[in-house]
Amino acid sequence: MLSKTRGSLGLALVAALGIGLVACGGDDESSEPAATEAPAASEAPAGSDAPAGTDAPAEGASLANFTPWSADAPVVDCAPDEGPLKAAWIYVGPTNDGGWTQQHDAGRQAVQDHFGDAVETTYKENVPEGPQVLQTIEDLIADGNTVIFGTSFGFQDAFVEAAAAHPDVCFEFATGYKGADNLSQFYGAAEDTDFLAGMAAGAASKSGKLGYLASFPIAEVLRGVNAWTMGARMMNPDATVNVVWVNSWFDPPNERKAAEALIAEGADVLGQKGIDSPATGDAAKAAGVPWAGYNTDQSANYGDVWLTATEYDWSVYEIARIQAVLDGAWVAGNYYGNLSDGFVTLAPFGDLVSEETRAAIQAELEKLTATPGSQFTGPINDNKGNEVLAAGVSHTFEELMSMAYLIEGVVGDIPAS
Amino acid sequence: MRSPVRFERRLEQPKWLNWAIPVVSLIAALVLGAIVLLATGKNPLDVYSRIFERGFAGTRALSGSIKTATPLAFTGLCAAIAFRMGLINIGGEGQFYMGAVGATWAGLVFGGDLPTGAVVIVMALSGMVCGGLYAAIVGVLRAKFNTNEIITSLMMNYLAAIFLNYLIYNSTSYWRDPESRNFPAGKPIPDRADWNFYEVGGIKIPLAFLIAIIAGAAIWVLYKRTRFGFEVGVIADSPKAARYAGIRTTSTIVIVLALSGALAGLGGAADVGNFRGLLDSKGLQMSGYGYTGIVVAALARLNPISTLFVAVLIGGLTNAGFALQGPDFPSGLVGTLQGLILFTAVAGEVLVKYRIRRNRRAAAVMA
Repeated sequence: MLSKTRGSLGLALVAALGIGLVACGGDDESSEPAATEAPAASEAPAGSDAPAGTDAPAEGASLANFTPWSADAPVVDCAPDEGPLKAAWIYVGPTNDGGWTQQHDAGRQAVQDHFGDAVETTYKENVPEGPQVLQTIEDLIADGNTVIFGTSFGFQDAFVEAAAAHPDVCFEFATGYKGADNLSQFYGAAEDTDFLAGMAAGAASKSGKLGYLASFPIAEVLRGVNAWTMGARMMNPDATVNVVWVNSWFDPPNERKAAEALIAEGADVLGQKGIDSPATGDAAKAAGVPWAGYNTDQSANYGDVWLTATEYDWSVYEIARIQAVLDGAWVAGNYYGNLSDGFVTLAPFGDLVSEETRAAIQAELEKLTATPGSQFTGPINDNKGNEVLAAGVSHTFEELMSMAYLIEGVVGDIPAS
Repeated sequence: MRSPVRFERRLEQPKWLNWAIPVVSLIAALVLGAIVLLATGKNPLDVYSRIFERGFAGTRALSGSIKTATPLAFTGLCAAIAFRMGLINIGGEGQFYMGAVGATWAGLVFGGDLPTGAVVIVMALSGMVCGGLYAAIVGVLRAKFNTNEIITSLMMNYLAAIFLNYLIYNSTSYWRDPESRNFPAGKPIPDRADWNFYEVGGIKIPLAFLIAIIAGAAIWVLYKRTRFGFEVGVIADSPKAARYAGIRTTSTIVIVLALSGALAGLGGAADVGNFRGLLDSKGLQMSGYGYTGIVVAALARLNPISTLFVAVLIGGLTNAGFALQGPDFPSGLVGTLQGLILFTAVAGEVLVKYRIRRNRRAAAVMA
């Protein structure tokens, strides 16, 4: 037997290569919005006073919903002495992942289109979290890049280290929380569009039993679960939302299994948060169950079951920040975008969403555009019967950023936290 | 429909083949790669010079390549030592994880008290024990029940991955940072548990890579100069003959797999001590060091010393690959180039053992 197995070395090698490739491609979006700790320094980033309806990104340093880390944060000059400004994006997944990274690369392309020859953008994809990140950053700096965007939570410590080592390079990080004089953080209020998507889901449910896939029990995802549930119960007051924790940002086979299990348990509408693949939509399509997606507009591929989804437009922030560099006005700080500046948007409605529901959603959309996060206004109880917010009281921004409960109407628990 | 050529086993393998074949393989890879690059509108010379520049030219590039190579050196040795005995241990990945778990524990427990040198030793030993025991399970199953170790070691990779997820995401384990309430993350080891980097001629070498060199040399001695190594060779060639000769095959199987796992576990310890500083469940699973290690070992023809050099080669190619990619150089093309190099290298192996003969005469006879 032993001698026989020796002959299979080649086979094993091929198998290992195959597995390695799968492993590489697999965890694409591990980064997902790890919105994490309250972007510490920002006091009032919700930007309630932002001019509603501004679709053009702000010019120069005056970016709505952006707060410098401190009043005397130094201006970092990372514009080149001559030639185009070189900016680079580092992605954890492939640019065609159909979700997180694809949306980020759309932001990069928008930057390139906006500035034309004045800016030269590049990207590195499939960069695994760990020592490779710093290696990649150093390489990009050696190539003359002076603005570097990071899009995976797991890259954060490498960005902190690189920012300290290269004070003349501007670092921009999505979904983290650590800042420095030359390191900014950016993300936005997906909980507002999640609420609106939840309304579409609640209205579409006949049985009042909804199913929801969530990635990790972190504040950002809990905000989504709770906002979605709140929206569903607004349209369908007795509705309950059955939550399954998938424990991955990207695991299509398991997502599909979990979605099928939810349908088998009686869910007649599905939703998802922090889950990137449309595998939930596959299960929904097979069972003919309405589905609210996440991250990208999938109405073209899942027309029969499509409701709507939260979408991100990263270029809203990125174009303004590159402009700030060119204007010699770049300071580090925290950005939390929302509906008012177009950082988050609601994807087009599917045919399943009735005119009546669309009108109701539109009304709420206007309220949330004016006052982001206002859906989290009491009375709100958690799903254990405890009062979280008394009538008329709203969450502060810090409370939103550190949310750690499941709202009334959610069936499920927060795994060990 | 006879093939115009046939493979004929070499009766003897001339020494010069040992260096000629790899050189020819590399040239073949470069030529094939050049065709692909030309077809996609790139200048092969530019691309190759950039690979060389970013992977191997200068102290900065070499420092980076050695850093990237370090985990691969350990997983490469892990594969090499087992494969030499015909034990196909695909489980380096999981054994690496378990080593990281063990070493993180040791670093967290002792990192605050013991002096740095002692902490490094305790972490390394802890990683080796965890990786070794994890692989020994595969060894016992193989030795006692003749279970196929390819399957069991592979399956145990998935188990180890689930265990990592459990420790960091689904429990309030000792490994998880209690501060990371909003996003589950590993608890950082104290500063004193950090492993050092040494500068040699301007090249930054992680302590872990020096340990890998020692480990590689030790395995070479073990297999070439000891009775145990001789027995392993006999078992690999003919288990039956080994048994008749009174060699205890079952215990040797367990020992070799445990050693193999201990090397991967040592790599896991190095990953925590020298690089990440915490148990990084997600990052480890994305990196796939264990699987790449199998490729490293195969390219090194299971020689422990060559494994170290091949690891640096692959490390450099990996870094150069990231340096190459961008909007007009998709990562798929980078992967194709890297794949070509690996493919021709492995294919070249065939020519060491076989030679190609034309089938013309046979055809003529048939006619």
